[in-house]
Amino acid sequence: MVNDSGQLYTMEGIAAGLVMLLTAYLILSTTSIYTPGDTHIPDMQLEQLGSDVLAMMDTPDSDGGENHLVDLINRSDRDGFNSTFLEYCNARTNGKPDTIHMSANVAYRDGDRIEEHQLVKPDETWTGRESAVRVTRWVQLDQQSTRGDPYGSRAQAVLVEVLLWRA
Amino acid sequence: MLRNDEGLFSIDFLVGFTIFMVALIAVASMVPGLLAGLQSSGIDYDAVAYRTGVILAEDPGWPVDPPWEAYDVNHKGEIERTGLAVSKDAPNILLSTKIEKFFDTSFFDPEDYRSKAIFGDIPYSYNITLRSLDGRYNHAVGQETPEGYGYIRRVVKIKEPSVAVINGSFKDRYTISPDDNSTTRTFIVRFDFNRLINLSIDPAYRIDPRTEPVNITITDFEKFLNGTASEATLKSVTFRRGSSSIPFPYDEDDTDYYTLRIDNNLCPTEPGAGVSSNISLVLKPAATSLFELGPTSILDVEFNFEDKPPDTNITGIHYYDYNPTNVTRPDLKPAVLEVAIW
Repeated sequence: MVNDSGQLYTMEGIAAGLVMLLTAYLILSTTSIYTPGDTHIPDMQLEQLGSDVLAMMDTPDSDGGENHLVDLINRSDRDGFNSTFLEYCNARTNGKPDTIHMSANVAYRDGDRIEEHQLVKPDETWTGRESAVRVTRWVQLDQQSTRGDPYGSRAQAVLVEVLLWRA
Repeated sequence: MLRNDEGLFSIDFLVGFTIFMVALIAVASMVPGLLAGLQSSGIDYDAVAYRTGVILAEDPGWPVDPPWEAYDVNHKGEIERTGLAVSKDAPNILLSTKIEKFFDTSFFDPEDYRSKAIFGDIPYSYNITLRSLDGRYNHAVGQETPEGYGYIRRVVKIKEPSVAVINGSFKDRYTISPDDNSTTRTFIVRFDFNRLINLSIDPAYRIDPRTEPVNITITDFEKFLNGTASEATLKSVTFRRGSSSIPFPYDEDDTDYYTLRIDNNLCPTEPGAGVSSNISLVLKPAATSLFELGPTSILDVEFNFEDKPPDTNITGIHYYDYNPTNVTRPDLKPAVLEVAIW
């Protein structure tokens, strides 16, 4: 293709060179887009559901009525919290209920320390399960002399943390 | 291209060749875009379902005042979004009248659901269902779901309109004094918007006749009858804003605006009919939006009875407000909303 004088003397040579360049360019510029499988969408769906359930438990059914979530926390009613939360969480519009499980902790202040009280323990599906998501909600507890351990009687804001998973 | 011993190209050739190469590279760079032209629409089903769930559960829709559910079929094109929330300040609290309208498939067709709730460039298939935990609300629109679809589930509560029930227990409060010799009998239900539009009350519990129906029900009417009368003639139901009378040219067929029932029979606002048992008036936002009511307005609904001599002793003003004796506000009802998109 190139003679002693350094000249390109055939169009075929030029075309061959161009084809090689073009091929190399096409290969390098074509990018593969692949979506690695991950769980961020199912996690988001579960987080939204858990967040909705806590919000609705924190909404009284009537103006000035009982706040179900505050009442359950005040009384440390683990069975009530478990059954109410799961009733809302697993409800479907038709067909069988969903199979979501949960555990719940409440973080509160005790003097200078931040303590955590386990309100609902995880059940037997805690191991060998799908990945859990965490939803939280701040709950304001008013001054209540009859409220004993662990929160005490003073008014304070506590953080309710719920772990949800499907099993 | 001239061949000579100097190994040089002419300027003409170089210019032409350069332009050719630039054009070739530009076209070649577009080829990967052609090869990847097949759009994968399945990847965003969950995102579209999530967005639709947000519109239904957290958005009151548009227009808001008058609310979109008050629009009739001739103005359906003016509805931009069919959100179900009571207010943007009360997410996940749905209004029952919005729910009834949204799931009315005689009003909305599939294209309406796509353009006013789902959006998107692709004509998605959908299945939207809502069920209250007590079973009172159980609605569905769309096709049956296939094997794979985008999905979201929202937990909500449903707010139902308030109702003022004036029954026999109000007899002493709303009976004309024995010393009063007048022959007119007018019973007034007053909506004082100064009291009603109270921003300190959460929208989930607020009474706003501009955006939700109000229900006035007079029962045990026989307790308000005079002497041996078996019924009293309801001449008319009229509306006043302050001291001004408001014209109301609708008849009993305009159920989008109001329903008036006398002894359970549908009537116009000038029925001239006898009442022996009960009166029920439901005033809907489509009507109140025509009254030009503001946050300080006072709307009086007057029930005018005309008999000579009077057959009823009912009189007085009943306030439609937040007093639980005067008005009953039903409890919020927990429900679950599911959206499937494919």
